[in-house]
Parts: sequence; C-alpha cells; structure tokens
Amino acid sequence: MATKEKEQELIKRLQDAVINYKIADAKKVAEEAIAVGADAYTVTMEGLAGGMEVVSEKFDSHEYFVPETLLCAKALYAALDVLKPHIKLQAGGSRGQVVLGVMQGDVHDLGKNIIKAIFEASGWTVHDLGRDVPLQRFVEEQLKTDSDIVMLSAMMTTSMVGIKKLIPMIKEKNPKVKIMIGGAPITEKTVEEYGADTTADNAPNALKEAMKMLETLRKGRAA
Amino acid sequence: MDEMNGLERVATALQFKEGDRVPAAPLVCGASHRVAGVTYGEWSSGEDVQAMVRGHLDALKLLGHDGVVALVDLSVEAADFGQEVFFPEMNTAYPNYDNPYIKTIADYKKIQRLNPRKSKRMKSVIDMIAGIAKEVGKTHAIVGFVYGSLGVMSMMRGPEQFFMDLIENPDAVLPALQAMDETLFDYAMAQAEAGAHGVCYDHLYCSQSILSKEMWEKFEGPSIKRLCDGIRDKGALVVLHNCGNGIYFDKSYQWAKPHAISHAYVSDDVDSWEEHKAKWGDKIATIGWIPPGPVAMLGTPEEIEEECKAEIEIFAKGGGFILSTGCEYPPNAPLLNARLIVEAGKKYGVYKK
Repeated sequence: MATKEKEQELIKRLQDAVINYKIADAKKVAEEAIAVGADAYTVTMEGLAGGMEVVSEKFDSHEYFVPETLLCAKALYAALDVLKPHIKLQAGGSRGQVVLGVMQGDVHDLGKNIIKAIFEASGWTVHDLGRDVPLQRFVEEQLKTDSDIVMLSAMMTTSMVGIKKLIPMIKEKNPKVKIMIGGAPITEKTVEEYGADTTADNAPNALKEAMKMLETLRKGRAA
Repeated sequence: MDEMNGLERVATALQFKEGDRVPAAPLVCGASHRVAGVTYGEWSSGEDVQAMVRGHLDALKLLGHDGVVALVDLSVEAADFGQEVFFPEMNTAYPNYDNPYIKTIADYKKIQRLNPRKSKRMKSVIDMIAGIAKEVGKTHAIVGFVYGSLGVMSMMRGPEQFFMDLIENPDAVLPALQAMDETLFDYAMAQAEAGAHGVCYDHLYCSQSILSKEMWEKFEGPSIKRLCDGIRDKGALVVLHNCGNGIYFDKSYQWAKPHAISHAYVSDDVDSWEEHKAKWGDKIATIGWIPPGPVAMLGTPEEIEEECKAEIEIFAKGGGFILSTGCEYPPNAPLLNARLIVEAGKKYGVYKK
C-alpha cells in the first residue's frame, strides 16, 4: 500500500508524462504505481484522466494540435495498459458506456480515435467498432452491451447519409438510447434532420455532451 | 444576358475587379460521373479518360457553371506512389488503411520521384484536363488539382501514425516529402501545360484543425512556395484549397501568394465572414463557401438561394469572389442543387455599372 504522499507524487508524474507525451515515462510510472501498491483506479482517474483534461484544454486553446494530442493519447494508453488489469471498479462501475464507430464507406477514424482516448481516460467504457462499420453492427453492439450512447462519425456526405437510415434502426430496438453524431459535414441541421440527439465539433465537447446526456438518462431511470 | 463568358468572368474576379456578375463554380467534380454514363468507381479509376471529359462537359451544359476543377479524388497521387486504393461503385475512392504502403519508418525511403506523365492516375488527370481544355478552354476556367504532399503521405502511412511521425521521426519524413514534392511539382506543371488556366494545391493541414503554424511551415512551407512559383512561371493562376477550420491565411499568403483560396471556414485570425472580407478580401480571392452537406445537399431550393444571396451580399463588392461550395460538391447530392447555386449567382450577383 503506497502512502498518500507517494500516490500524489505518482499522480503528478503520470499527468506530466501524458501532457508532455513521454510514452516510456508513462509506462514506467504506471509500473511503479503497481509495484508500490498504489490504488490503480485513483492513479488512473487523477493521473491519466487529469493529464488528458489538461491536454483537452491545450487542444481547445490551440496550443496543442492533432499530432501532439495523438502522442498524449499514446502515452495515456502506455500507462493504461499497465494499470487496467489492476483497476477494481468503484461503486457504480464505469461512468457510462458508449458504442463508437465510423460509418460504412468511410475510413476517416482520426477524430474517432481521439474521442476514444479522452472517453476512456475519463472512466467511460468504450466499445470501439472501428471504421467502415456496417449499419447493423451498431445496432447489435448497442443491444449486446446495453450502452447509454451511440456515437457515429462521418467525414463525407456519402457516408453521412447512412446515419439517417441507422438512427431509426437503433431507436427501434432501444428508444431510450442517446445518439451523438460528428464529423466534417455534420451540423445542427443534420442533427435535427436525421433525428440524432446532439453533435460536437471536437473531442472535449463530445465528452461534455455525453456527460449531459448521461445525466438526463440517469434522471429518467431514477424517476 | 451575359456579357462575359465563364473564363472572362472568373479571370476578372481573380483580379479583384467586378465583371458582369459574380462567377459561380460549385466544385462539381466526382458528381460529374453521374452524367458520364459510368459508375463512380469507373469514372475515378482513370481507365476511361473520355468518360471523365464527357462527364465534365455535360455537367457544364446541364448546370451552367463558369469553371471546372479537375479534382478526381484525393487518392490519385497516393495510388501512383503505390498505395492500394479501393474504388467503390457509388462512393469516393479511398486507400486501404489496413495495408498502408509505408508500414514502418524505414518504408519512407521507398518514396522516390515519379514521372506523372508516365503514371496511371495522374496521367489520366493530365489527359482529362487536356480533353476539357480542347473543348471549352476558351470559354470556361479550367483549374487543375494537386493534393499536397502532407495529405498524400498521410494516405500512404495512415493519418494517425503519420501525424505522430511528424514529431517522433521528422528526419525520416522530410526526405520522403521532398521526393514527393518534386513529383507534385512536375504534376502541377504538366497540368498547366495541358491547358489548365490555374492549378489548385490542397494544403489541408495548414489549418487549426490539424497542425500548428510552425509545424506546417516546417514540412510544407518551402515546397509549396516552389510549386506555386512554378505555376506562376507557367503563366497560370495559383489557387489553394483548404476545407479545414481556421485556415492560416497569413502563412498561406507568406509562402504561396495565392490568387485565391477555396475554403469553407474563415481565416484563423478573424471571427466572421464580414471580418474575413475586410482583412483578406483585397489580397486573396475567396472561392466558397456554401456548406456542402447542410446546404448544397440537404438544403431546400429556398435555403440554397438564401445562402447564396447572403454570401454575395458580403463578398461580391470589388470582385475577388467566386460563388462555390466550401468543399467538393457532394457527389451524391441532387445535381440540380448545383444549378440552383448558378442561378442564384445570376439573380443576385449582377454588378451594377
């Protein structure tokens, strides 16, 4: 069992490794955290998620761009791979579950991968279906995992049109599930026209939108 | 009654002068396959240049736009460098990211200078330009298209890995980019020689959406300067395309001195289209900026007309504006919506003498 001081030191070093995209350092600190008996959940949430929160702020303020953010995510995963097997889920389990994927006929998965990293770092369970995903796969995965949110990405108008077809397919099986759509051709108008619940123009905003939707869902379940 | 033909109208606008009316040239590129009598895959593969030419010429007759942009799709250059590309029947061609040509850092050395005139798909674009120029080169503006080296390389490595390589392995990336830039230079020159009045270079990563200014300059600044100087030396116009958010107009101007930029969003140093016109309107002409998805594809006729009218009101004064979509006209959008754009240009874009 690590002391509180040691745990705080490890958290700070993990944050620094993620923010400064020091991939080897991130892995090393994670291994040290396990070796000294630090709580894996705490160091993941405060170290990795805390670090990624700073990365999101830097991305929002145009201090970081796509290459820097990808490397931060790489550092995050280097540590998360070590910590994950040691995480005992806290009461209530993960924050929420999402099914995530790029629409059929579309291979642009950069934005989707950044979203995945930020969501995982924030304690969400992400069921990543990858790119060029057949419509039916989204429906099946949502049912199988009972995920709260389905997130659909399209970077081209030719793949965007699949969303219009897919949303009724998902809602027919589970009317309560929330749907977020994103990508270059997507606007508020597309959200309205296709019957989605929301959109976001970048990963940090996607996380904020997801948190709002999750809160609505949980209030609905409690009522 | 028009007083100018499309070529004169576009040329006048790019000299920051008012012609008879605002030129209209929605970027009807892949969409032209639909009037060529072939599938999208057949059209873009480059196997049948006559069909590609026919598609553009028939689209011009049908829609009445003032100029042609010779974009086929963004995978043309990567395919000729050896990247495996899929050609779906009804969708835009795309690289097989499960089988990138550059699989390891060492593979960057595989990129060697090519002769575009002896390649497959780049040659088909050069020949397509020659075919279009022969038919309408005196009446319509013809603009070639080259995808920038950063974009092409990202298609051959996979964008995610490529962006990380820019930070982790710049010494491997830079020589490969240089070899590619030499090829793209030759390709742009060949397009100008084939009859393109201008050549458009897509510098997609020169925007807040992707790279910092410093990183973009490091990897693409000097090469874009050389290429754009070469286009000017050929007597052709320099056009850039960038549909990213927050384009670096200052860096584009510094390195490329373009006559025009085809864009979907405002420059990174302003907050509105009005500000953009005030700051950049007399230096770099705007080709844009009708949103392709929500307006050109999903908009009602009234919404399309309203959008065109609003854009003309902000940008038409003093020339330097071509009414267009902010990115390629959606290949699957109703074709007649493109005609509505042209008609709106005629209705609202007439310059009073």
